[in-house]
Amino acid sequence: MSSTSAPLSAPLAARAGRARRLASSPTLSFIVRRLLAAIPVLLGVTFLSFVVMNSLPGDAAQELLGAQATPAEIHQLEIKLGLDKPFLTRYWDWLHQAVIGHLGHSLSSGQSVASILGSDLPVTFELVGFAFVISLALAVPLALVSARKPNGVADRLSMMFSMAGLSIAPYVLALVLVYVFAVKLNVLPAIGWVPPGQSVWQNIRYLILPAVSIGLGLLCFYTRLLRADLLEQMQGEDYVVTARAKGVRPWRVLTRHALRNSLFGLITVVALNLGTLLGFTVVIEDIFGIPGIGHELLQAIDNRDIPVIEGIVFVFAVIVVLCNLAADVLYSVLDPRIRYGRPTE
Amino acid sequence: MADLPSDLVVAGVAPAADEAAVAKAGGWWRGRLGVTVPAVMVAFIFGLCFIWPIIGPVPPPTGGNILSSSLPAFSPGHFLGTDAVGNDEWSRLLYGGRASLEIALAVQAIGIVLGGLIGAIAGYLGGWRDATIMRVLDVFIAFPGLVLAVAIAQGLGPSELHTIWALSFFSVPASARISRAATLQLREQTFMTAARLSGTSFPRMLLGHIAPNILPQLLTYALLGIGIIMILEGALSFVGLGVPPPAPSWGNMIAQGQSTISANPRFVFLPSAALFITVVSFNLLGEGLRARWGSQ
Amino acid sequence: MSQSLLEVSDLRVDFRHDGQIVRAVDRLTYSVARGQTVAVIGESGSGKTVSSRAIMGLLPQTAKVTGSIRFDDVEMVGLPEKAMRGHRGCGVAMVFQDPTRSLNPTMRIGAQIREAIQTHEKASRGAAHDRALELLELVRLPAAKERLEQYPHQLSGGMRQRVMIAIALAASPKLLIADEATTALDVTTQAQIMELLRDLQQRLGMALIMISHDLGLAASFADEVVVMYAGRAVERAPTRMLFSHVRMPYTRALLDAIPRLENASHAPLAAVPGQPPNMALREPGCPFTPRCPNSTDQCRSHAPAFEEHEPGHLWACWHPCEDGVRP
Repeated sequence: MSSTSAPLSAPLAARAGRARRLASSPTLSFIVRRLLAAIPVLLGVTFLSFVVMNSLPGDAAQELLGAQATPAEIHQLEIKLGLDKPFLTRYWDWLHQAVIGHLGHSLSSGQSVASILGSDLPVTFELVGFAFVISLALAVPLALVSARKPNGVADRLSMMFSMAGLSIAPYVLALVLVYVFAVKLNVLPAIGWVPPGQSVWQNIRYLILPAVSIGLGLLCFYTRLLRADLLEQMQGEDYVVTARAKGVRPWRVLTRHALRNSLFGLITVVALNLGTLLGFTVVIEDIFGIPGIGHELLQAIDNRDIPVIEGIVFVFAVIVVLCNLAADVLYSVLDPRIRYGRPTE
Repeated sequence: MADLPSDLVVAGVAPAADEAAVAKAGGWWRGRLGVTVPAVMVAFIFGLCFIWPIIGPVPPPTGGNILSSSLPAFSPGHFLGTDAVGNDEWSRLLYGGRASLEIALAVQAIGIVLGGLIGAIAGYLGGWRDATIMRVLDVFIAFPGLVLAVAIAQGLGPSELHTIWALSFFSVPASARISRAATLQLREQTFMTAARLSGTSFPRMLLGHIAPNILPQLLTYALLGIGIIMILEGALSFVGLGVPPPAPSWGNMIAQGQSTISANPRFVFLPSAALFITVVSFNLLGEGLRARWGSQ
Repeated sequence: MSQSLLEVSDLRVDFRHDGQIVRAVDRLTYSVARGQTVAVIGESGSGKTVSSRAIMGLLPQTAKVTGSIRFDDVEMVGLPEKAMRGHRGCGVAMVFQDPTRSLNPTMRIGAQIREAIQTHEKASRGAAHDRALELLELVRLPAAKERLEQYPHQLSGGMRQRVMIAIALAASPKLLIADEATTALDVTTQAQIMELLRDLQQRLGMALIMISHDLGLAASFADEVVVMYAGRAVERAPTRMLFSHVRMPYTRALLDAIPRLENASHAPLAAVPGQPPNMALREPGCPFTPRCPNSTDQCRSHAPAFEEHEPGHLWACWHPCEDGVRP
């Protein structure tokens, strides 16, 4: 057991060692492998949506020209829009442009898909982000209070409420909130959106009800999850006994020891959840008239606007894949057991 | 992170709140309460929606008389009132429940059978077959189900059957993941190796050994998922899929009621309350069963 | 100020499990003087760990503790949790068996030691850091300064156990309980840790309770030995007296089970036949009866009392072994 490197070069050597370890680390190769595995998934998703959209009756040309158009007119527009080319050709055309970032243009408005995404995505992200912040900020203290005295009064109450909160459909909650706060009490707006550039306060006001609609379910879910994990730590882990044996107060054992180890699990779940959340966001955006990506998607499907749909589907899929990956990676990166490598002797 | 496979988490299903140990310390009583009460509630709801309309005095949910439209609650003959075209609200509630429940049950049943099979095969065979199946499932999970649902609605026309198909795209992969995880755990047990060595054929392995052992987990998950499926069916109604009016489902009643919420809030709140109570009952039942079976 | 630091009298610990009551510790009585080393020896399930947790008040809610544990003239049984916390770490401290699981994997070593210090003293972070360094040097951990910033998994088993000892010593306890502290370590490290403990004990004037299943360890390091079986104390004596005049057939059997160099090679290892009894069932007689070579009907029906039969030597047996005679 010796560690006799000269004090000056020790930090440098440590950093070089860490860099070397990272380069060959299992974490990096893990990330790379997962990214590679994600590619066929992305291909599959975009191809599938292409198939689905093309098998629908009607196409963008028909939608644009309306019910009165003659077949000849429709056919002409189709040629102009490139819709007459064979199916696989069109997919390939889209694909090889998409991978370099050229997502094409909307068939109905002519606007570039990228700019559509650019204006709509941030709106949806803000909404979802707001919902996450509310839910996480409240879930942690609630779970801590519950875990402090399992089956105590606070715990039972919070479990009852969280069960109820989980069982409400987000759109039901949205309608209830609108009814109470917008229609009856008239304190919050029901529909609309104000960009933060215009007024931060108004921006928040318009987002409160929709964010709560999404966030309540999340809050309940996270509270239960964290509570279960905390209790598992407190009741099953030896290091908790050590902490108690030191004379550490129970609240501190919960927050300084158990919470650290439970947060990993929570973060992983949050990342995994992000993907499935996007579906509900569409409905909420619809109810509250928020000009986000969900709203755009619904319109595009109506218009058979394939490039826009493909662009959105592509982005959705990328987000889902990245979130799954992030969940796995976060777990391994945050855990010091993996970050700092094998034990030294 | 508890006993939760990440897949259950993806489905948005919550973990059990009650530790089996505490339930055990509380003894017999707690365990019974956790399962019996919700089971009774579920049975009651089923009875109301499926049996009562047959034996009781319930008017048909459609084809109402326009002359008796928009009657308020506690009107004679229509104790919950009527909707805008004269259909009895109470009847719509019951038949709507039947539709929503039918859909949810069908979707979960398809999920268990098809998803369970796929997952078990993937888990048992392993190797490249497993990897391929999982990649295909990943595609379905990453695919925004909404696009599919709306596409089906537009392309094939909305109907109860098509809603079931659309939602199955969600439940089959989710079930498959649970089933695969359970099969992987099972595979390592000695009785499985024994069966393998004694030359049991693959179908027999599947049906005779794997299926009975993963079934409790699958069933618990399916119960917990019914709530979500019912909520999703409602979400689909908002975007045009789901059960097409005038036939009621709780989902489409809520979606339709949205526009007249100020004037007639009960058109939204009645099916919402019904949906809520049903989802809570199924969730409690699923949790109760999980606490019971999980502790073994 | 009484002579003994710790006096355990008639200690009983009952657990509620599945509707049954399991008595894990039954009428345990022994005492530890200041600076003394007492070894508590027994098989798994003998109640040795449970009794030590009872001293620290670390048993779960399902446990019911009756009897008396007097530590430094303070009655611990029934002590409110807040007061108990005051004793943990600075009056009585504990070193656990598995240092891998007993240290928080996501907290640096330095932080874990500092916590032990700052729970009982008002010390600044810097002062606590210095003291932590001192402690690591006290337990002879090499490269102590670097170790403070590392995580537990970066240390070997022996090093982690030294860290556990450092944590236990942080608030200068009067009594240290080593619960199978060396069981998870290899023989060489085991010897080193035991030497370290003995050295520390002499330097700091600490009393030590060694909990183990290893009689050999007790022989080398303990002043007094308490042998437990099925939750009860069955024999207790100063070490030399115990080993030269073994009385309990159980202790005899344990001694015989230790492999010796002078035995013929390939001679079968003497094991203690049978299994420890099911603690949920309370038999009227002596619990060792089914496995005892000396047992009679009397043993089956009447449990012998744990009494001082010779000066300083207590045991509970109707048919104790005699000097020089092997059963």
